[in-house]
Amino acid sequence: MKLYRTREGEATAVDTKTQLTTAGSETAPGPLLVPAGSTKIVGVIVAAMQNMAVATGYSAFIRLEGPALQEGPESIAVCAGGNAVATGGNNATAAVFIPLEIPVTVANEVLIYAEMCGTDVGQVNFGVTIVFGG
Amino acid sequence: MASTLTLEGDLATVDLRTNITTQGSVAAPSTIVPAGRTKIKRIMVAASSEGLADGASVFLLRIGGNAVRGGESVITVAAAGRIAVQSGSDAAAQFVPALVLNDVDIEVTPSDTLSIAAEMCGSDTGTGHIVVTLFFGT
Repeated sequence: MKLYRTREGEATAVDTKTQLTTAGSETAPGPLLVPAGSTKIVGVIVAAMQNMAVATGYSAFIRLEGPALQEGPESIAVCAGGNAVATGGNNATAAVFIPLEIPVTVANEVLIYAEMCGTDVGQVNFGVTIVFGG
Repeated sequence: MASTLTLEGDLATVDLRTNITTQGSVAAPSTIVPAGRTKIKRIMVAASSEGLADGASVFLLRIGGNAVRGGESVITVAAAGRIAVQSGSDAAAQFVPALVLNDVDIEVTPSDTLSIAAEMCGSDTGTGHIVVTLFFGT
């Protein structure tokens, strides 16, 4: 059995570690704990998009941290993008599944962070789903 | 025996859990897990917004209800962004092909009820639209 747990949020400053703590209407979902019966993170599903407020480019990655990660923090590349102008843009993208094999400890917390790198495009919104498996 | 369930709906408000209950011309399709099926094995899902407001958003799919074992699964589906075009210009359309997630392995109880919901999160980039197909198996 696999279980899917998600956090989302926005990075508003370049090169700044930003924790993702909400899940849409769940503004305070609490700590993201490894579900009972799960022994590893088998993947993440990630989508991100910039608000196109500045004519420049960026890259982005996420960090998985917290006491649940038996082998320490992980960092994972997510996407890159840019805006030719800040006076007109419209875009959408599907999420991607990134397979992983990260051992975790049940009932311990996973912390999810995101970062916008390169130059500041204004804001990048991230959705990150952790796929837990046995 | 049907092994798929497709639902679609609109997300008119940001950060609002919205039940996805319709199937186009079918206003109230059954959301009961088919008899003999114990897992959601694959998900196809697409979402985007109308791009009528500035900002950036992400879309989440929520698979819950009495049928789902282990608690509601929340899955990131897509993201969208928009900045206003200058006067006299046009913006490109938003288009997102369906995301296909294989080997999903969400355990469900046959003949029990699913509750499928979705959310547009972050900024309101205009009404979101989402369509999802669940593939049941054993």
